[in-house]
Amino acid sequence: MTSYRIPGRGRIDRNKPVRFTFNGASYPGFQGDTLASALLANRVHLVGRSFKYHRPRGILSAGSEEPNALVGTSRGPGRFEPNTRATVLEVFDGLSATSQNHWPSLKWDIGAINDALYMLFSAGFYYKTFMWPKSFWNKVYEPLIRGAAGLGNSPTVPDPDTYASRFAHCDVLVVGAGPAGLAAVLEAGRSGAKIILCDEQAELGGSLLSETDAGIEGLSGWDWLKSAKDELAAMPNVTVLPRTTAIGYYHQNLLGLCQRLTDHLASPLEGAPRERMWKVRARQVVLAQGSIEKPLVFDGNDRPGVMLAGAARSYLNRYGVKVGNRPAVVTSHDSAWLAAFDLAQASAKVAAIVDVRPEVAGHLKQRAAGLGIEVLTGWTVTGTRGRLRVSSVHVNPVSRGGVVGPARTIACDALLMSGGWTPSVHLFSHTKGKLDWNEEGQMFLPGERTEESRCAGAGNGSFGLAAALAEGAAAGAAAAVDAGFKAKAAAYKVDDEVPLTGISCRELPTDRNASKAKAFVDFQNDVTAKDIRLAVREGFKSIEHIKRYTTNGMATDQGKTSNINGLAIASDAVKRPAPAVGLTTFRPPYTPTTFGAFAGYNRGELFEVTRKTPIDAWAEENGAVFEPVSLWRRAWYFPKPGEDMHAAIARECKAVRESLGMFDASTLGKIEIVGPDAAEFLNRMYTNPWSKLGVGRCRYGVLLGEDGFIRDDGVIGRVSSDRFHVTTTTGGAARVLAMMEDYLQTEWPDLKVWLTSTTEQWAVIALQGPNARKLLEPLVDSIDLSEEAFPHMSVGEGRICGAPTRLFRMSFTGERGYEVNVPARYGRAVWEKLYEAGQQFGITPYGTETMHVLRAEKGYIIVGQDTDGTLTPDDAALGWAIGKAKPDFVGKRSLTRPDMLKDDRKQLVGLLTADPNTVLEEGAQIVLDPNQALPMMMVGHVTSSYWSATLGRSIALAVVEGGRAREGETIHVPMPDRTHQARIVGTVFFDPENKRLSA
Amino acid sequence: MLHEHHPLVGREIAVREAAPLSIRAVADCARFSLRIDPARIVEASKAFGLSLPERIGDVTVSGDRLAVRLGPDEWYLTAPLAENQAIERDFAKLYATVPHSLVDVGHSEVGIEVEGTAALLALRSGIAFDIEAIPAGTGCRTIFNKAQIVLVREAENRFRIEVWRSFADHVWGILQAVSREIAIDI
Amino acid sequence: MLLIRCPYCEAERPEVEFVYAGEAHIARPADPSKLTDDEWKSFLFIRSNPRGTHFERWRHQHGCARFFNAVRDTVSDKFVMTYKAGLPRPIETELEEARS
Repeated sequence: MTSYRIPGRGRIDRNKPVRFTFNGASYPGFQGDTLASALLANRVHLVGRSFKYHRPRGILSAGSEEPNALVGTSRGPGRFEPNTRATVLEVFDGLSATSQNHWPSLKWDIGAINDALYMLFSAGFYYKTFMWPKSFWNKVYEPLIRGAAGLGNSPTVPDPDTYASRFAHCDVLVVGAGPAGLAAVLEAGRSGAKIILCDEQAELGGSLLSETDAGIEGLSGWDWLKSAKDELAAMPNVTVLPRTTAIGYYHQNLLGLCQRLTDHLASPLEGAPRERMWKVRARQVVLAQGSIEKPLVFDGNDRPGVMLAGAARSYLNRYGVKVGNRPAVVTSHDSAWLAAFDLAQASAKVAAIVDVRPEVAGHLKQRAAGLGIEVLTGWTVTGTRGRLRVSSVHVNPVSRGGVVGPARTIACDALLMSGGWTPSVHLFSHTKGKLDWNEEGQMFLPGERTEESRCAGAGNGSFGLAAALAEGAAAGAAAAVDAGFKAKAAAYKVDDEVPLTGISCRELPTDRNASKAKAFVDFQNDVTAKDIRLAVREGFKSIEHIKRYTTNGMATDQGKTSNINGLAIASDAVKRPAPAVGLTTFRPPYTPTTFGAFAGYNRGELFEVTRKTPIDAWAEENGAVFEPVSLWRRAWYFPKPGEDMHAAIARECKAVRESLGMFDASTLGKIEIVGPDAAEFLNRMYTNPWSKLGVGRCRYGVLLGEDGFIRDDGVIGRVSSDRFHVTTTTGGAARVLAMMEDYLQTEWPDLKVWLTSTTEQWAVIALQGPNARKLLEPLVDSIDLSEEAFPHMSVGEGRICGAPTRLFRMSFTGERGYEVNVPARYGRAVWEKLYEAGQQFGITPYGTETMHVLRAEKGYIIVGQDTDGTLTPDDAALGWAIGKAKPDFVGKRSLTRPDMLKDDRKQLVGLLTADPNTVLEEGAQIVLDPNQALPMMMVGHVTSSYWSATLGRSIALAVVEGGRAREGETIHVPMPDRTHQARIVGTVFFDPENKRLSA
Repeated sequence: MLHEHHPLVGREIAVREAAPLSIRAVADCARFSLRIDPARIVEASKAFGLSLPERIGDVTVSGDRLAVRLGPDEWYLTAPLAENQAIERDFAKLYATVPHSLVDVGHSEVGIEVEGTAALLALRSGIAFDIEAIPAGTGCRTIFNKAQIVLVREAENRFRIEVWRSFADHVWGILQAVSREIAIDI
Repeated sequence: MLLIRCPYCEAERPEVEFVYAGEAHIARPADPSKLTDDEWKSFLFIRSNPRGTHFERWRHQHGCARFFNAVRDTVSDKFVMTYKAGLPRPIETELEEARS
């Protein structure tokens, strides 16, 4: 097999040969190649199978717009990636790539039967085909569709790579390093402004890299490019980011740039991140994204070997690869003629240039004649042949009246097509910038801008090198000036540029049955011209609907090569002008982007903040099992060797009830409220009265929203007359402080009171059980712990084990209890000393699960578990906590709204199951009549449910409509296996007289 | 004496190769959140023994005492550990005539110093605003990756992060990741 | 990510430092008990939800921690201006000036 590599041509580094594999076969390439160029150099055109019809597909383009040549790549163990575009993947030594969407092999694919059954797969096929019978859905259609859907295979193991992110600020960001972008960045860079230039390709230069004719300022294009790069490299104010795709343009000139750091390296440095997401905030932005060539739409335009003419030119000039020995060209635009000329000069035998236009500029015809190329103008293309690679093309003359004459077959081994060029307005469109329809060019162009941005070059519809350089320089200078710098656009002299023109076409006229033509518009989603016409016939008139019905432009390429062709055909079918049919919305990201790049550092252990208490390490060393509670991880239970969770909880509960347990309550939110108006502020915020709370005393407080529903609760201690220590729920800490600040700052700014979060200042050790006081008494200084001096609901300041403490007497278990607050850094040492001293009482560390069980036995609610934002204090059996004499507090007025007074409000009740061994599922729905017809009327749900070792049976809390009046009634809890019965009881299951609090 | 447990104690990251960078947990100090009517800044400055900054974002330093103005009525104060109680006493005296709130947050926070020519680059991994634009001798509250911090630019290439202790591991983890990139110059 | 000018810090800061806090200029009634059920319902639940200029509250939660007011266009998402809590709603000529 001879190589198609042409000696002396291209920009690849011939001193750096590499070897890679494709479908297991080893091939040579060079550094600087893409996988596509290296495959073409090895005469490989067949690269994959299409998504729906499994048609053989080759390489369409030479850039990021590629819809066809998607491959799976492996960069070592665990580093498999599907759907990589072969046209942007740089080859390196050891690269392994595989084709997709076929079985058993690329050349013989069973799925290709779909191609013969195409009538089943026309537009909207999945809406029509899989309608009935209903029973087929779960068993036949769903698995079938799931099996067939999707591109490529998912990776099977977690991504071992790391990803980075970086914020940057600059004066001018230039996107695209083609001639327009380079001219812009040179101008802006010379002004001294801080510049970032990014380009998705490995090498700067854009279209210049594929161009060998142009001359700029007396230099060849490539020499000018080198001088431009040198000048940029010498500017310390310019950051150049190759291999960096601007994926999205967000508010106020924030752009996301995804930089590929290691994908092109055979052996990346250990620990090097694979990609970095730059979040760049620029004062000014210049968009020089260039343009994308449109395919022509004709039967068989998807066969391997059929490619965009501009791509063939890139492969030749940039990579030194001849895409065929006998290429034919079909076009509606002058630019394809240049590809033919370049190939002819590289010793290819160009079979013919077929131009659909009746008239073509004389100089092109003369050049073709000079190179001995046959020219057919005013001809159409009606088909191609060749099973795995194009072997011939059918072309037909079209009369002035539009009559298609008899076909002629031209043998070829590559077919180069051009339907003209589409400006890349994607990023501009992300900004909601207005797009104006240009009738003459049949293209959308950037119109009125919404951000500080400028478009330049082909991306702005200004085609040609001279226009790109002039517009780029002007945009770069203007951007620098608007960013506060002095700049003036240089003029560029461009040599030997010929103006290029063309027309835009719908699907080309044909002499065959158009309903059988497979003229592809969207190659990646296998959408043909007739699919779009069918959609219109079936009543879809807006491009947004046509897009969704046909899936045109909905593949991972977002229709880069298909949107405008699709629109032209839809516009013709609807018989309305293109702008009236509309353009679909471009959305970020511009090209497919890895999840890793978006996540950046936030994966694995850094996925989210894991807050740990000062005592967490002790819990870990002592075998705790953890559970997440908001951002915290909390000790859930402490199993002893051989214990399961059930046994551990039962043991922990028993220890607290019978002797002494210790619990890490450090995660509780804490707010220090200080100032002469502190009590008044609490009066207004909480339902309870606070003015008369004595110094050294605490009270349980309930916080409502203005709507009257419970938001939070906690114990509040009065440390001094002007200083309160407020506790909140673990998850509510930030929310409660924000709510308090809101009222203080905006409703009552006159109050002299200030709020400070002290959640992390204190480690909190709860000591609960009949022996709690006995443990504490010898360890605490300057607080009298006697029953008289320090009764239930007290707070005092003193010292414990040598550390300062704010000691609370309070209970969330129903037992005598204390909460020892010590400054956080002392938390673990004090915990250890208490644990040691508590051995005489068999002190037992317990976790959140035991805490939940113990509090449920007492009917103490957990806000957010037993309440859901729709419960009033009365609903939650907390009516006693309302200071009825207070004129006002947040939420008070809502408590007398008519809806709040209804008898059938859901109220918190206790449940005892008929079978004491049944532990109901939390969240299970409750019905009154289990024999009623479906759907049943649900009257409430289980909010908390546990096995109570203390009571030797299960207990549950639930909210039930009018629940309190139903005490003693039996309710039913239907579950998939059986329906459970339970009796409604009060919410307090254990020690209703609260005797144990002071026992 | 009780052993004090500190999330980052003794930890240090040093990059010497490409761009010098040193990241270290700093010694503990006394820290307070001071909330007071800005009209009484003179009395508060007297109590603290340091002129409190008058603009949000400004920092004043005298000896080992430092004050950052975080908001219209909020200052973040640091001082040597030994002065903790004296400072509380001095402000308690002021309270009778000028009510305010002084809350000890010394154990809430962990200090991390990021120093070197690559300090800015390291911090740009997680801070969304233009930290290059803030002058040395200023500070503010902000977000680093997913954690709220107080950031003080102590010198051109030296920053101090104050972060709640349970967020310190996360901040450290991000700094560690970005330090590797800086070390291998990628 | 939006850039928001905090009227207290007098600086533009990234959106991550802020939280949205609902419509502005809805003062809590001095004595809610005087309100009818209907009036209280309106205070609680009824908001203007305009297409276009919206007066709203933000908090510089992870900065100076102040609540403040902003005028934002709900179509373009662009801020017209921000101002301190407690200041009156800007009049049309002030908004025009801020827009230009």
